[in-house]
Order: sequence, then C-alpha cells, then structure tokens
Amino acid sequence: MFEVHPDSNGLRLAGRLDAAAAPLAEPHFEALSGAAEVDLANLEYISSAGLGVLLKAHKRLSAGGAGLRLVQVSPHIVEILHFSGFDMLFEVVPASDPA
Amino acid sequence: MKLSLRRELGEIERIVAARRSLFAASDLPDALIYPVDLATEELFVNMLRHNQQGQGPITLELEVVAGGVRVSLADHDAEPFDPASVPPVDISRPLNERQIGGLGLHLVRQLVGSVHYHYHNRCNTLSFMAREEPTDV
Repeated sequence: MFEVHPDSNGLRLAGRLDAAAAPLAEPHFEALSGAAEVDLANLEYISSAGLGVLLKAHKRLSAGGAGLRLVQVSPHIVEILHFSGFDMLFEVVPASDPA
Repeated sequence: MKLSLRRELGEIERIVAARRSLFAASDLPDALIYPVDLATEELFVNMLRHNQQGQGPITLELEVVAGGVRVSLADHDAEPFDPASVPPVDISRPLNERQIGGLGLHLVRQLVGSVHYHYHNRCNTLSFMAREEPTDV
C-alpha cells in the first residue's frame, strides 16, 4: 500500500514505495517545481525504484537551482539513503530532528 | 514456504505477505524484515527485466535457518544472468553524474552481503541469506 499526498510545500508519502508503486509516485514528483519538501514520516519502505523517482525529480529541480529536501525520515529510510549515497546528494532531515 | 510468482510487479505484494507470514510464525528478529523485503524485491525485479521473454512463473522460497532466513528465487526458462557481473555503482559521484537506476544490486549487497548464483538447465537461481550480522560483503 502506497499513498502520496500533495501539500503546500511538496509531497507527503506513506506506506511502501516499491517497484510497483514507483510509477504511481512519478507523476506527483513531475508536478513539483522549485524547492520542494518531501515528508517521509509515514514512509515504511523504499527500494531502488522509489529512490530512482526521488533522484530523477531532484536532478530536474536542481538543474533549475532548487531541489528536493527529505524531511521526517525514519531510521530505516535514513540507512537506505546512506547506503545509496543519497545523504550526500539531498538535504536529509531525520524524524527525530526538528524539520 | 514456497510461492509461484507471476511475472509482474504486482506480485511484490504477495512476496511481502509471505514474508509477513513467515516472520509471524517464527521468532525472527524485526531487523531482518527490511533486508529480506528489499533484497527479494530487487532480485525479483531484476529477473523480470533481464528475462522479458520469459513465460513461466518465478519460484520464491523463504526458509528459516539457523540465525536468519534463506531466500531463493528461480526463473525456470532464462538466459544466464549472474548479478556479480554487474559492475558496482559509484555512490560518491556528484548529482549531475548520478544515473537513475542501477542501485538495486548495490543495496542488496549492502543489506545481505553476497548473492549466490546457480544456472542449470536454463534455470537461473539466485539466493541469499539474511542474518542479523552480515556474513560477508
């Protein structure tokens, strides 16, 4: 089960962003512009397909001088972002820190 | 536990349901959930992508063994595909040089260590062990 909710600053994701859900997430990321925040507080799981969606959007927005900021990131997802090297590419705000 | 998976991404949901049943019926540590889910999904998706001509189902086996879980995926009518032949991803590249994709096997290696590959009679079998302490990298 995966859910994506647009809000004023960007997107809120919930559930499991796996290879089956990534095509559902992609149009929402394509609709983002400027500096956008992605709230991952309720994201339980992300695989390489979901990471690809984040990276594609971040590259597009960064080319325009902005980018994605990942906030409220749970420890499991922080670990995956670290293993992927994404913590060097994105601003990542763990769930325990004030966003 | 053995499942016969159709060659479609929607089967990931059944993979997760099977893993949930296995963990609910055993005393496996929760720390193994993410590695098992991720490595199984990535290898399954790789099998679909590298054998798009394949017709038959892919067999998934999940087995509780001493210290963890053994997972194997078998594609019964496939060309050889050894994940070890895929060059490692350089995760230190800057944003403008990072490719979309290619991270799956990298994450598998990070989370469960090596993937065992066996090819016989057109059957491509990939297996791994998820343990609390990684066995090797």
